[in-house]
Amino acid sequence: MKRTGLSLALLCGAAPLAGQGVVIAPHAVFIDARTRSGAVLLYNPNADPAEVVISFFFGYPATDSAGSIVVRTVEHPDATSPSAASWIQAFPRRLTVPPLERQTIRLLASPPPGLADGEYWARLVISAKGGQLPVTGVADTAKLKVGLTLEVRTIIGVFYRKGAVHTGVTLSGLRTAVVGDSLAVWARLTQQGNAAYIGSAHAALLDSTGKTLAELKAPIGVYYAMEPRWALPIGALAPGRYRLRLDLSTGREDLAPELVLPSPPVRDSVEVRVP
Amino acid sequence: MMSRPGLAGLLLLGLLVTRAGLSQGVGGSVAIDANVIGQALTITTLSDLNFGSVPKGVATTVQPTAAGAGAWQIQGSKNADVSVTFVLPALLTNIQALPGSTMPVSFGATSARWNRATNNVAAATVFNPSVGATGKLGPPANPFLYIWIGGTVTPAAAAKPGIYTGTIIVTIAYL
Repeated sequence: MKRTGLSLALLCGAAPLAGQGVVIAPHAVFIDARTRSGAVLLYNPNADPAEVVISFFFGYPATDSAGSIVVRTVEHPDATSPSAASWIQAFPRRLTVPPLERQTIRLLASPPPGLADGEYWARLVISAKGGQLPVTGVADTAKLKVGLTLEVRTIIGVFYRKGAVHTGVTLSGLRTAVVGDSLAVWARLTQQGNAAYIGSAHAALLDSTGKTLAELKAPIGVYYAMEPRWALPIGALAPGRYRLRLDLSTGREDLAPELVLPSPPVRDSVEVRVP
Repeated sequence: MMSRPGLAGLLLLGLLVTRAGLSQGVGGSVAIDANVIGQALTITTLSDLNFGSVPKGVATTVQPTAAGAGAWQIQGSKNADVSVTFVLPALLTNIQALPGSTMPVSFGATSARWNRATNNVAAATVFNPSVGATGKLGPPANPFLYIWIGGTVTPAAAAKPGIYTGTIIVTIAYL
Protein backbone atom coordinates (compact mmCIF):
# COMPACT_ATOMS: atom_id res chain seq x y z
CA MET A 1 0.00 0.00 0.00
CA LYS A 2 1.26 3.46 -0.80
CA ARG A 3 2.22 5.66 2.14
CA THR A 4 -0.65 8.05 1.57
CA GLY A 5 -3.14 5.23 1.30
CA LEU A 6 -1.86 3.71 4.49
CA SER A 7 -2.06 7.07 6.23
CA LEU A 8 -5.63 7.59 5.17
CA ALA A 9 -6.60 4.12 6.25
CA LEU A 10 -5.10 4.72 9.67
CA LEU A 11 -6.66 8.15 9.84
CA CYS A 12 -10.08 6.68 9.48
CA GLY A 13 -9.56 4.13 12.16
CA ALA A 14 -8.96 0.46 12.07
CA ALA A 15 -12.60 -0.34 11.46
CA PRO A 16 -13.90 1.83 8.62
CA LEU A 17 -17.57 2.68 8.77
CA ALA A 18 -19.87 2.29 5.84
CA GLY A 19 -21.75 5.58 6.01
CA GLN A 20 -21.11 8.89 4.35
CA GLY A 21 -19.20 11.67 5.98
CA VAL A 22 -15.99 13.55 5.42
CA VAL A 23 -12.93 13.97 7.57
CA ILE A 24 -12.27 17.63 8.28
CA ALA A 25 -8.98 19.00 9.54
CA PRO A 26 -8.18 21.10 11.36
CA HIS A 27 -11.19 21.81 13.56
CA ALA A 28 -10.13 25.43 13.98
CA VAL A 29 -8.40 27.65 11.42
CA PHE A 30 -6.10 30.48 12.42
CA ILE A 31 -5.29 33.05 9.75
CA ASP A 32 -2.44 35.48 10.17
CA ALA A 33 -2.88 38.98 8.74
CA ARG A 34 0.53 38.74 7.12
CA THR A 35 -0.48 35.81 4.92
CA ARG A 36 -4.27 36.30 4.90
CA SER A 37 -4.82 32.70 3.96
CA GLY A 38 -5.57 29.37 5.51
CA ALA A 39 -6.63 25.91 4.48
CA VAL A 40 -8.97 23.12 5.44
CA LEU A 41 -8.48 19.55 4.34
CA LEU A 42 -11.41 17.34 3.43
CA TYR A 43 -11.07 13.63 2.97
CA ASN A 44 -13.84 11.34 1.78
CA PRO A 45 -13.31 7.87 3.25
CA ASN A 46 -16.40 6.39 1.62
CA ALA A 47 -17.25 4.58 -1.57
CA ASP A 48 -19.61 7.32 -2.77
CA PRO A 49 -18.71 10.87 -3.82
CA ALA A 50 -19.47 13.56 -1.25
CA GLU A 51 -21.05 16.82 -2.39
CA VAL A 52 -19.66 19.62 -0.25
CA VAL A 53 -20.79 23.24 0.08
CA ILE A 54 -18.79 25.82 2.05
CA SER A 55 -20.22 28.95 3.69
CA PHE A 56 -19.54 31.35 6.56
CA PHE A 57 -21.50 33.10 9.28
CA PHE A 58 -20.71 35.09 12.39
CA GLY A 59 -21.26 33.33 15.67
CA TYR A 60 -19.48 32.28 18.79
CA PRO A 61 -19.88 29.82 21.67
CA ALA A 62 -21.96 31.09 24.55
CA THR A 63 -24.00 29.50 27.32
CA ASP A 64 -27.75 29.17 27.65
CA SER A 65 -29.72 29.47 30.88
CA ALA A 66 -28.84 25.89 31.83
CA GLY A 67 -25.13 26.43 31.38
CA SER A 68 -24.94 24.39 28.20
CA ILE A 69 -22.59 25.72 25.59
CA VAL A 70 -24.28 26.66 22.33
CA VAL A 71 -23.34 28.57 19.23
CA ARG A 72 -24.86 32.03 19.29
CA THR A 73 -25.49 33.13 15.74
CA VAL A 74 -25.53 36.80 14.83
CA GLU A 75 -27.20 37.27 11.45
CA HIS A 76 -26.43 40.96 11.16
CA PRO A 77 -23.35 41.78 13.21
CA ASP A 78 -22.92 45.49 13.88
CA ALA A 79 -19.77 47.45 13.19
CA THR A 80 -18.41 46.80 16.66
CA SER A 81 -18.60 43.02 16.33
CA PRO A 82 -15.32 41.28 15.52
CA SER A 83 -16.87 39.53 12.57
CA ALA A 84 -14.75 38.25 9.72
CA ALA A 85 -17.62 36.36 8.11
CA SER A 86 -18.19 38.90 5.36
CA TRP A 87 -14.60 39.19 4.20
CA ILE A 88 -13.23 35.67 4.29
CA GLN A 89 -13.86 33.62 1.19
CA ALA A 90 -13.45 29.93 0.50
CA PHE A 91 -12.11 28.47 -2.73
CA PRO A 92 -13.86 26.45 -3.96
CA ARG A 93 -17.24 26.93 -2.33
CA ARG A 94 -18.83 23.93 -4.00
CA LEU A 95 -17.05 20.73 -4.77
CA THR A 96 -17.40 17.01 -5.03
CA VAL A 97 -14.87 14.93 -3.15
CA PRO A 98 -14.44 11.61 -4.96
CA PRO A 99 -14.26 8.40 -2.95
CA LEU A 100 -11.03 7.93 -1.03
CA GLU A 101 -9.70 11.28 -2.18
CA ARG A 102 -8.85 14.54 -0.46
CA GLN A 103 -9.47 18.13 -1.36
CA THR A 104 -8.08 21.31 0.11
CA ILE A 105 -10.30 24.31 0.72
CA ARG A 106 -8.32 27.54 0.62
CA LEU A 107 -9.49 30.42 2.77
CA LEU A 108 -8.56 33.93 1.68
CA ALA A 109 -9.15 36.99 3.86
CA SER A 110 -9.80 40.43 2.37
CA PRO A 111 -10.26 42.60 5.45
CA PRO A 112 -11.45 46.19 5.16
CA PRO A 113 -8.73 48.84 5.13
CA GLY A 114 -7.78 50.28 8.49
CA LEU A 115 -8.82 47.20 10.41
CA ALA A 116 -7.73 47.59 14.03
CA ASP A 117 -5.38 45.13 15.65
CA GLY A 118 -7.14 42.20 17.20
CA GLU A 119 -8.78 38.90 16.51
CA TYR A 120 -11.79 38.54 14.21
CA TRP A 121 -14.06 35.54 14.09
CA ALA A 122 -16.17 33.61 11.67
CA ARG A 123 -17.73 30.17 11.61
CA LEU A 124 -17.05 27.95 8.65
CA VAL A 125 -19.91 25.68 7.61
CA ILE A 126 -19.04 22.52 5.71
CA SER A 127 -22.16 20.83 4.36
CA ALA A 128 -21.59 17.31 3.11
CA LYS A 129 -24.10 15.13 1.39
CA GLY A 130 -23.32 11.58 0.46
CA GLY A 131 -25.00 9.12 -1.82
CA GLN A 132 -28.73 8.68 -2.07
CA LEU A 133 -30.60 6.62 0.44
CA PRO A 134 -30.63 3.01 -0.70
CA VAL A 135 -34.38 2.47 -0.63
CA THR A 136 -34.84 -0.16 -3.25
CA GLY A 137 -36.87 -3.15 -4.20
CA VAL A 138 -40.38 -1.91 -4.86
CA ALA A 139 -41.30 -5.05 -6.70
CA ASP A 140 -44.69 -4.76 -5.09
CA THR A 141 -45.83 -1.47 -6.59
CA ALA A 142 -48.69 -1.21 -4.13
CA LYS A 143 -46.29 -0.64 -1.24
CA LEU A 144 -45.11 2.59 0.30
CA LYS A 145 -41.37 2.70 0.96
CA VAL A 146 -40.05 5.47 3.19
CA GLY A 147 -36.54 6.62 3.97
CA LEU A 148 -34.77 9.86 4.85
CA THR A 149 -31.34 10.90 3.72
CA LEU A 150 -29.10 12.41 6.37
CA GLU A 151 -27.04 15.46 5.48
CA VAL A 152 -24.25 16.65 7.72
CA ARG A 153 -23.19 20.22 8.41
CA THR A 154 -20.04 20.75 10.40
CA ILE A 155 -19.22 24.13 11.91
CA ILE A 156 -15.69 25.05 12.90
CA GLY A 157 -14.12 28.30 14.06
CA VAL A 158 -12.03 30.62 11.93
CA PHE A 159 -9.80 33.17 13.67
CA TYR A 160 -8.15 36.08 11.84
CA ARG A 161 -5.39 37.74 13.82
CA LYS A 162 -3.96 41.13 13.02
CA GLY A 163 -1.15 42.87 14.84
CA ALA A 164 -0.83 42.61 18.60
CA VAL A 165 -3.36 40.17 19.98
CA HIS A 166 -3.70 39.24 23.60
CA THR A 167 -6.21 37.38 25.68
CA GLY A 168 -7.13 36.52 29.22
CA VAL A 169 -10.04 35.45 31.33
CA THR A 170 -11.55 36.33 34.68
CA LEU A 171 -13.22 33.74 36.86
CA SER A 172 -15.97 34.61 39.32
CA GLY A 173 -19.12 33.23 40.89
CA LEU A 174 -17.76 29.72 41.37
CA ARG A 175 -20.43 27.54 42.97
CA THR A 176 -21.42 23.91 43.20
CA ALA A 177 -24.34 21.62 43.96
CA VAL A 178 -24.61 17.88 44.40
CA VAL A 179 -27.02 16.57 41.78
CA GLY A 180 -27.56 12.83 41.97
CA ASP A 181 -24.19 11.15 41.59
CA SER A 182 -22.54 14.26 40.15
CA LEU A 183 -21.23 17.56 41.39
CA ALA A 184 -22.52 20.39 39.24
CA VAL A 185 -20.09 23.28 38.92
CA TRP A 186 -20.90 26.76 37.65
CA ALA A 187 -18.62 29.73 37.10
CA ARG A 188 -18.76 33.03 35.29
CA LEU A 189 -15.98 33.45 32.76
CA THR A 190 -15.28 36.77 31.11
CA GLN A 191 -12.91 37.22 28.22
CA GLN A 192 -10.21 39.88 28.43
CA GLY A 193 -8.07 41.47 25.75
CA ASN A 194 -8.76 41.59 22.03
CA ALA A 195 -8.85 37.87 21.29
CA ALA A 196 -10.89 34.89 22.37
CA TYR A 197 -9.66 32.93 25.34
CA ILE A 198 -8.98 29.46 23.97
CA GLY A 199 -7.93 27.10 26.69
CA SER A 200 -8.85 24.32 29.02
CA ALA A 201 -10.81 24.03 32.23
CA HIS A 202 -9.76 21.60 34.93
CA ALA A 203 -12.11 21.01 37.82
CA ALA A 204 -10.97 18.85 40.72
CA LEU A 205 -12.73 17.81 43.89
CA LEU A 206 -10.29 17.46 46.77
CA ASP A 207 -10.65 15.99 50.23
CA SER A 208 -9.22 17.53 53.38
CA THR A 209 -5.79 16.03 52.66
CA GLY A 210 -5.66 17.46 49.19
CA LYS A 211 -6.28 14.14 47.51
CA THR A 212 -8.15 14.36 44.22
CA LEU A 213 -11.42 12.44 44.41
CA ALA A 214 -12.89 13.43 41.05
CA GLU A 215 -11.80 15.61 38.21
CA LEU A 216 -12.85 16.81 34.81
CA LYS A 217 -10.90 18.40 31.99
CA ALA A 218 -12.57 20.12 29.10
CA PRO A 219 -11.54 22.47 26.31
CA ILE A 220 -13.15 25.87 26.49
CA GLY A 221 -13.43 29.02 24.39
CA VAL A 222 -14.52 32.29 25.98
CA TYR A 223 -15.47 34.92 23.44
CA TYR A 224 -17.38 37.37 25.63
CA ALA A 225 -18.87 36.25 28.95
CA MET A 226 -20.35 32.86 29.70
CA GLU A 227 -21.53 30.79 32.63
CA PRO A 228 -20.85 27.14 31.78
CA ARG A 229 -21.99 24.23 33.87
CA TRP A 230 -19.81 21.18 34.31
CA ALA A 231 -20.68 17.90 36.00
CA LEU A 232 -18.12 15.86 37.89
CA PRO A 233 -19.06 12.25 38.50
CA ILE A 234 -18.51 11.76 42.22
CA GLY A 235 -20.52 8.64 42.94
CA ALA A 236 -21.55 8.12 46.55
CA LEU A 237 -19.49 10.72 48.38
CA ALA A 238 -19.27 10.41 52.15
CA PRO A 239 -20.78 13.31 54.10
CA GLY A 240 -18.22 15.96 54.91
CA ARG A 241 -16.40 19.00 53.66
CA TYR A 242 -14.49 19.04 50.42
CA ARG A 243 -12.98 21.65 48.15
CA LEU A 244 -13.68 22.18 44.48
CA ARG A 245 -10.81 23.74 42.60
CA LEU A 246 -11.21 25.16 39.11
CA ASP A 247 -8.19 25.97 36.97
CA LEU A 248 -8.25 27.70 33.61
CA SER A 249 -5.19 27.64 31.39
CA THR A 250 -4.39 28.23 27.77
CA GLY A 251 -2.92 24.78 27.25
CA ARG A 252 -4.77 22.78 24.60
CA GLU A 253 -3.74 19.33 23.49
CA ASP A 254 -5.75 19.58 20.29
CA LEU A 255 -4.12 22.76 19.01
CA ALA A 256 -0.55 23.48 18.09
CA PRO A 257 1.08 25.48 20.91
CA GLU A 258 2.06 28.33 18.60
CA LEU A 259 -1.61 28.89 17.74
CA VAL A 260 -2.74 29.29 21.33
CA LEU A 261 -2.37 32.77 22.79
CA PRO A 262 -0.65 32.48 26.16
CA SER A 263 -2.20 33.89 29.26
CA PRO A 264 -1.47 33.38 32.97
CA PRO A 265 -3.45 30.54 34.55
CA VAL A 266 -6.49 31.46 36.58
CA ARG A 267 -7.65 29.53 39.65
CA ASP A 268 -10.43 29.67 42.17
CA SER A 269 -11.82 27.25 44.69
CA VAL A 270 -14.90 26.82 46.82
CA GLU A 271 -15.90 24.63 49.71
CA VAL A 272 -18.29 21.78 49.02
CA ARG A 273 -20.44 20.43 51.82
CA VAL A 274 -21.99 17.02 51.41
CA PRO A 275 -24.73 16.44 54.01
CA MET B 1 2.09 4.90 23.06
CA MET B 2 0.56 7.58 20.89
CA SER B 3 -3.23 7.87 20.99
CA ARG B 4 -5.27 7.40 17.82
CA PRO B 5 -6.25 11.10 17.61
CA GLY B 6 -2.65 12.06 18.08
CA LEU B 7 -1.66 9.68 15.35
CA ALA B 8 -4.37 11.11 13.14
CA GLY B 9 -3.02 14.60 13.71
CA LEU B 10 0.44 13.53 12.72
CA LEU B 11 -0.85 11.75 9.65
CA LEU B 12 -2.78 14.83 8.63
CA LEU B 13 0.42 16.79 8.95
CA GLY B 14 1.92 14.40 6.48
CA LEU B 15 -1.02 14.83 4.15
CA LEU B 16 -1.03 18.60 4.22
CA VAL B 17 2.63 19.31 3.92
CA THR B 18 3.23 20.45 0.41
CA ARG B 19 4.81 18.01 -1.98
CA ALA B 20 6.47 18.68 -5.25
CA GLY B 21 4.06 18.70 -8.15
CA LEU B 22 1.00 19.63 -6.12
CA SER B 23 -0.74 22.94 -6.48
CA GLN B 24 -0.03 25.39 -3.70
CA GLY B 25 -3.33 27.21 -4.05
CA VAL B 26 -3.81 30.78 -2.96
CA GLY B 27 -0.96 31.84 -0.76
CA GLY B 28 -0.08 28.26 0.00
CA SER B 29 3.24 27.33 1.45
CA VAL B 30 4.64 24.68 3.69
CA ALA B 31 4.63 27.08 6.62
CA ILE B 32 1.00 28.09 6.19
CA ASP B 33 -0.15 24.54 5.74
CA ALA B 34 1.72 23.48 8.82
CA ASN B 35 0.07 26.27 10.81
CA VAL B 36 -3.42 25.00 10.22
CA ILE B 37 -2.76 21.47 11.30
CA GLY B 38 -4.85 20.21 14.13
CA GLN B 39 -6.78 17.16 15.03
CA ALA B 40 -9.31 15.88 12.56
CA LEU B 41 -13.03 16.14 13.04
CA THR B 42 -15.01 13.33 11.53
CA ILE B 43 -18.76 13.02 11.33
CA THR B 44 -19.89 9.76 9.88
CA THR B 45 -23.41 8.76 9.01
CA LEU B 46 -23.72 5.22 10.32
CA SER B 47 -27.21 4.65 8.98
CA ASP B 48 -30.02 6.56 7.32
CA LEU B 49 -33.44 6.77 8.91
CA ASN B 50 -35.38 4.03 7.17
CA PHE B 51 -39.03 3.20 7.79
CA GLY B 52 -39.05 0.43 5.23
CA SER B 53 -42.46 -0.53 3.85
CA VAL B 54 -45.33 1.13 5.66
CA PRO B 55 -49.08 0.40 5.46
CA LYS B 56 -51.45 3.00 4.05
CA GLY B 57 -53.54 4.91 6.53
CA VAL B 58 -51.53 3.80 9.55
CA ALA B 59 -48.91 5.87 11.33
CA THR B 60 -45.55 4.15 11.57
CA THR B 61 -42.92 5.11 14.12
CA VAL B 62 -39.24 4.28 14.17
CA GLN B 63 -37.81 4.76 17.64
CA PRO B 64 -34.26 6.11 17.95
CA THR B 65 -33.39 2.77 19.52
CA ALA B 66 -34.67 0.79 16.53
CA ALA B 67 -32.57 -0.74 13.80
CA GLY B 68 -34.06 1.65 11.23
CA ALA B 69 -33.04 4.77 13.15
CA GLY B 70 -30.67 7.30 11.66
CA ALA B 71 -27.31 7.35 13.36
CA TRP B 72 -24.13 9.41 13.32
CA GLN B 73 -20.73 9.07 14.90
CA ILE B 74 -18.66 12.17 15.68
CA GLN B 75 -14.97 11.90 16.41
CA GLY B 76 -12.90 14.84 17.54
CA SER B 77 -11.02 16.29 20.48
CA LYS B 78 -11.50 14.44 23.73
CA ASN B 79 -14.03 15.98 26.12
CA ALA B 80 -14.91 18.73 23.65
CA ASP B 81 -18.41 20.17 23.68
CA VAL B 82 -20.42 20.10 20.48
CA SER B 83 -23.88 21.45 19.81
CA VAL B 84 -26.27 19.28 17.82
CA THR B 85 -29.17 20.82 15.92
CA PHE B 86 -31.45 19.54 13.20
CA VAL B 87 -33.34 20.84 10.22
CA LEU B 88 -36.28 18.48 9.97
CA PRO B 89 -38.68 17.94 7.08
CA ALA B 90 -42.45 18.04 7.58
CA LEU B 91 -43.30 16.26 4.34
CA LEU B 92 -41.70 13.49 2.36
CA THR B 93 -41.97 13.40 -1.40
CA ASN B 94 -42.85 10.43 -3.54
CA ILE B 95 -40.07 10.30 -6.09
CA GLN B 96 -41.91 7.79 -8.27
CA ALA B 97 -45.26 9.52 -8.54
CA LEU B 98 -46.45 12.75 -10.07
CA PRO B 99 -45.47 15.93 -8.21
CA GLY B 100 -47.62 16.64 -5.20
CA SER B 101 -47.64 13.14 -3.78
CA THR B 102 -46.38 13.62 -0.24
CA MET B 103 -46.43 12.01 3.20
CA PRO B 104 -46.30 13.82 6.56
CA VAL B 105 -43.38 13.05 8.85
CA SER B 106 -43.04 14.23 12.44
CA PHE B 107 -40.53 14.13 15.27
CA GLY B 108 -41.39 14.09 18.95
CA ALA B 109 -39.71 15.18 22.15
CA THR B 110 -38.06 11.77 22.53
CA SER B 111 -37.18 11.14 18.90
CA ALA B 112 -33.45 11.67 19.32
CA ARG B 113 -30.70 10.47 21.61
CA TRP B 114 -27.02 11.15 22.11
CA ASN B 115 -24.34 9.21 23.92
CA ARG B 116 -20.81 9.98 24.88
CA ALA B 117 -17.90 7.71 24.01
CA THR B 118 -19.71 4.48 23.17
CA ASN B 119 -22.13 3.29 20.50
CA ASN B 120 -24.81 2.36 23.02
CA VAL B 121 -28.22 3.77 22.27
CA ALA B 122 -29.81 2.11 25.30
CA ALA B 123 -27.69 4.25 27.60
CA ALA B 124 -28.07 7.41 25.56
CA THR B 125 -29.61 10.71 26.65
CA VAL B 126 -33.00 11.50 25.14
CA PHE B 127 -33.55 14.89 23.53
CA ASN B 128 -35.98 16.66 21.27
CA PRO B 129 -34.48 17.01 17.79
CA SER B 130 -36.54 20.13 17.20
CA VAL B 131 -34.71 21.76 20.11
CA GLY B 132 -31.26 20.24 19.76
CA ALA B 133 -28.74 19.39 22.44
CA THR B 134 -25.23 20.04 23.62
CA GLY B 135 -23.16 16.91 23.93
CA LYS B 136 -19.65 16.10 24.98
CA LEU B 137 -17.17 13.92 23.20
CA GLY B 138 -15.75 11.04 25.15
CA PRO B 139 -12.54 10.88 27.17
CA PRO B 140 -9.13 10.08 25.61
CA ALA B 141 -9.68 6.43 24.78
CA ASN B 142 -13.02 7.07 23.06
CA PRO B 143 -13.31 10.68 21.83
CA PHE B 144 -16.66 9.94 20.23
CA LEU B 145 -20.22 11.16 20.40
CA TYR B 146 -23.09 9.18 18.91
CA ILE B 147 -26.47 10.52 17.79
CA TRP B 148 -29.63 8.66 16.86
CA ILE B 149 -32.90 9.91 15.44
CA GLY B 150 -36.28 8.32 14.82
CA GLY B 151 -39.61 9.70 13.69
CA THR B 152 -43.17 9.01 12.65
CA VAL B 153 -44.67 8.93 9.18
CA THR B 154 -48.41 9.20 8.66
CA PRO B 155 -49.39 7.99 5.20
CA ALA B 156 -52.89 8.77 4.06
CA ALA B 157 -55.24 5.91 3.28
CA ALA B 158 -55.13 7.03 -0.33
CA ALA B 159 -51.36 7.50 -0.48
CA LYS B 160 -49.86 6.63 -3.82
CA PRO B 161 -47.41 3.73 -3.80
CA GLY B 162 -43.75 4.43 -4.37
CA ILE B 163 -40.63 5.63 -2.59
CA TYR B 164 -41.02 8.60 -0.27
CA THR B 165 -37.86 10.44 0.65
CA GLY B 166 -36.69 13.61 2.36
CA THR B 167 -33.57 15.00 3.95
CA ILE B 168 -32.67 15.52 7.58
CA ILE B 169 -29.85 17.98 8.10
CA VAL B 170 -27.81 17.61 11.26
CA THR B 171 -25.51 20.45 12.22
CA ILE B 172 -22.57 19.79 14.50
CA ALA B 173 -20.87 22.88 15.85
CA TYR B 174 -17.52 22.50 17.50
CA LEU B 175 -17.59 24.70 20.59
